[in-house]
Amino acid sequence: MVDQLPNRGRELEMLQEMGFESMEALFADIPAEVRFKGDLPLPGPQSEEEIISDARRLLGANLALGQRPSFLGAGLYRNYVPASVFQLVTRGEFLTAYTPYQPEVSQGMLQAMWEFQTLVSELVGLPIANLSLYDGSTAAAEALTCAVRVHNRKASQPNTVYISSLTPPDKRSVMFNYCQGAEIEIRTIDHLADGSLDLESLAEAAGSCGVYLEQPNPLGVLDENLVRVKEIIGEHTALIVGVQPVSLGVVEAPGHYGADIVVGEGQPLGSPVTGGGPLYGIFACSQPYLRLMPGRIVGRSVDVDGNEAYCLTLSTREQHIRRHRATSNICTNETLIALMGAMHMALLGPDGLRVLAERNLQACQAAKEALQATPGVTLVHDAAHFNEFAIAVPGTAASCLAFLDANGITGGFDLSRWYPEHDDRILVTTTDQTSSADIAALAAQLALWSTHQEVNA
Amino acid sequence: MSHLFDHHGAENTGYSQPQGLPTKGQATVPKGLIRKNQARWPRLSEPEMVRHYTWLSKRNFGIDTGFYPLGSCTMKHNPRVNEVIAQLPGIADIHPHLPEHHLQGLLSIYYEMQHMLEICAGMDQVTLQPVAGAQGEFTAVRCIQEYFRLRGEDQRTKVIVPDSAHGTNPASAAMAGFEIVEIPSREDGRIDLDALAAVADETTAAMMITNPNTLGLFEADISAASAIVHAAGGQMYYDGANFNAILGITSPGLMGFDAVHFNLHKTFSQPHGGGGPGSGPIGVKAHLAPFLPGPLAARRTPTAEERSQAVDEHWYHWLEPEHSIGKVQQWHGNAGAVIRCWAYYRRYGNGLTTMSEHAVLNANYLRHAIHREAKRIGVDHLFIDGAETDIAKHEFTLSMQPAKDALGISAMDVAKGLLDRGYMAPTVYFPLVVPECMMIEPTETESKDTLDTFAKHFVEVLTVDPEVLHQAPITTPVRRVDEVYAARNLCLRHPFDDA
Repeated sequence: MVDQLPNRGRELEMLQEMGFESMEALFADIPAEVRFKGDLPLPGPQSEEEIISDARRLLGANLALGQRPSFLGAGLYRNYVPASVFQLVTRGEFLTAYTPYQPEVSQGMLQAMWEFQTLVSELVGLPIANLSLYDGSTAAAEALTCAVRVHNRKASQPNTVYISSLTPPDKRSVMFNYCQGAEIEIRTIDHLADGSLDLESLAEAAGSCGVYLEQPNPLGVLDENLVRVKEIIGEHTALIVGVQPVSLGVVEAPGHYGADIVVGEGQPLGSPVTGGGPLYGIFACSQPYLRLMPGRIVGRSVDVDGNEAYCLTLSTREQHIRRHRATSNICTNETLIALMGAMHMALLGPDGLRVLAERNLQACQAAKEALQATPGVTLVHDAAHFNEFAIAVPGTAASCLAFLDANGITGGFDLSRWYPEHDDRILVTTTDQTSSADIAALAAQLALWSTHQEVNA
Repeated sequence: MSHLFDHHGAENTGYSQPQGLPTKGQATVPKGLIRKNQARWPRLSEPEMVRHYTWLSKRNFGIDTGFYPLGSCTMKHNPRVNEVIAQLPGIADIHPHLPEHHLQGLLSIYYEMQHMLEICAGMDQVTLQPVAGAQGEFTAVRCIQEYFRLRGEDQRTKVIVPDSAHGTNPASAAMAGFEIVEIPSREDGRIDLDALAAVADETTAAMMITNPNTLGLFEADISAASAIVHAAGGQMYYDGANFNAILGITSPGLMGFDAVHFNLHKTFSQPHGGGGPGSGPIGVKAHLAPFLPGPLAARRTPTAEERSQAVDEHWYHWLEPEHSIGKVQQWHGNAGAVIRCWAYYRRYGNGLTTMSEHAVLNANYLRHAIHREAKRIGVDHLFIDGAETDIAKHEFTLSMQPAKDALGISAMDVAKGLLDRGYMAPTVYFPLVVPECMMIEPTETESKDTLDTFAKHFVEVLTVDPEVLHQAPITTPVRRVDEVYAARNLCLRHPFDDA
């Protein structure tokens, strides 16, 4: 505590100079009836050494994904973040800066975010990107409300948006919370047995304000039907596509097949999984959405000498100017994590991204091949996948995952938590960090599990 | 200048990676989905990438660079051990969906943080899920909304905010679907109880207010304000942006509030990171607790089997509140930020009171020193207090209106003059109720010497020839940036050659 307070020991000197005799005099304006009585009922202060020791002990009790074979993803993807990213992002000039309200002394972060906007814009194939929202789910939710702001007047289904029926419930819940205030109704579009989008079901969405779909979808399926969506829903309905950004090294950018807004969880580019936060939400859009979009955006400008300079722009959409008429309440965003993303993208380059995406494809293919050959295990969707795929196992997914866990494998995600109608399905996630040995271990244990189930049956 | 998009290394020279896994068949993307044109990303080697971002960092000002008296933002020192802890694999490499027995460490820290914030705020239940202050506000008003819906009080559609409130308050309430009723502040910047009483009625869902208010003044009438809103059947919401002033001295609970958000990135030193990430937990009284987003960290006695995996005498688990509004972020909030703030809290423990005392001491001392120095060199007629008061809390406001009237020097001119002297400028033009406002918050982590030197420089700026000061800053990486040009000639990404 003392090492954080430079004026410890000088309190009286400072107080007396102001004409006060005690610290209490500075709090004389707080009425007695609202004052705390006595000390805070909390333990005493610790030194840095004690804190880091407790942190190591407590955090050491968590299971790090890298400690053993792990196939848990479902929206977060274990990756390798290059060492230079950590080294650079913890430079105090970036780490300890506030939002760049004074552009003259914030050019570094402003330019870095303008470059981030360009990197994202190129990645997803749309001309505009903001400098991040909180995470993939809030980016998707804000995209829905943005679509309604833009299209509501011409929509034959006003205040209505459609989302894929596969959208994970936690993400749907975020969408609902963001949409209910504007009285936006969220309807769903079905998928066919092979996991692809039901284009007949999609037809109902024409004339609504927006359609939200993911590529790859929440079960890892790469869905060719998405390239046909825009022609079906028409120009007055926004096509919003949620992406896993690494996939775009090999998968077509949604902006090139008609997406009006692209969102996504930025984490796989630049950030560790970190228990689910901080992450960063990608938000990119085409021109008609610009002035009604959420979040901060950096523009290139000039200073009084005509030199290149950067500043925040289009602020009149934002809460500190527009107050209750703002396009979003967002103020603090995820700039530093977006900066990590920019650094990772810069280091990868277009070829590095393609290679990274191919490694993810290969790991997924290797796992599919191994599990396809595993007795008792079936692949749910006959389709192309990125990162992850659903399998059905003998018995329940929950008991199978508990068996794998007891045998040293984090086996995947129990899909009954998303879709209660199936209790035997597991979402198996691979990434560029998955090894052949991990996959072999999973296949061997699943084979063992199947044998146990047969014996018990 | 260093430009990322000026780097055009040869093709296939990017970041080196291991070989992909061997497969029997070909791993393919469906034909119609194969990417045709690569993103036009630059091609840099690691030395070029490191130099580019180092160059950028040198064009950026942080707390580590110098004094950062940005009012309302609580720019205190960020202890570095917090960064070391946040990179441990037990937080950096954990998945929120891991089974509870693999997350006992995280759960116990979540529980400890919930408990600490409940004590400091005088609330019954805290959730750590919201990831920013504004999201905390939104989450809390959503809980209030559902609370009234369940009680059949659907007619409570309005939220009252003072005109001095942070912009996020009305924006968050509007996002949840509430109508905003703005009430004027009194001449002295404090809450106008008559104006409040005139609008509080059976349509009031809540009042949102921060205390100390945005002028840095403690609202002594806060209990009376709470009584008015409660008598009308509404809820009191505490904007915790200014929490740094009152820890261990008073609490929102003692002041009669029903809900509160915390800006952990302010009070508990999660680094601001140039605009985020933050963490915006909320705390509520028992009647609102069933509506909180889930899951919460809870604990019970471990079973015999669990005991071997327990981190202490408790077993920690997630708990879904009965009438939960659901989620506002897909996972468990910004866990990495919560861990950093836990490490910060541990440094103070029950000494958090001392932290707030020093924050208030420094603010009052700086205010005193600025007035003292102004008198010494005869510029004390060029500014006045934003609000008349003997004592401020963690921040204070000055109005530069006299300087504007006498010399044409605006608050912005003073701000830019301070940049030339090696400081981050205070917040300017907020709150709106103070003309030519400068809002100054030194925080507890600045020394008396820094405050004295800043005070000298602050008043020195007022002695500069106004024509010269209009030109400031001149020592910064760029000079005054043309924000109008930026808005009229939108250039939101690298133009490339073809655009």
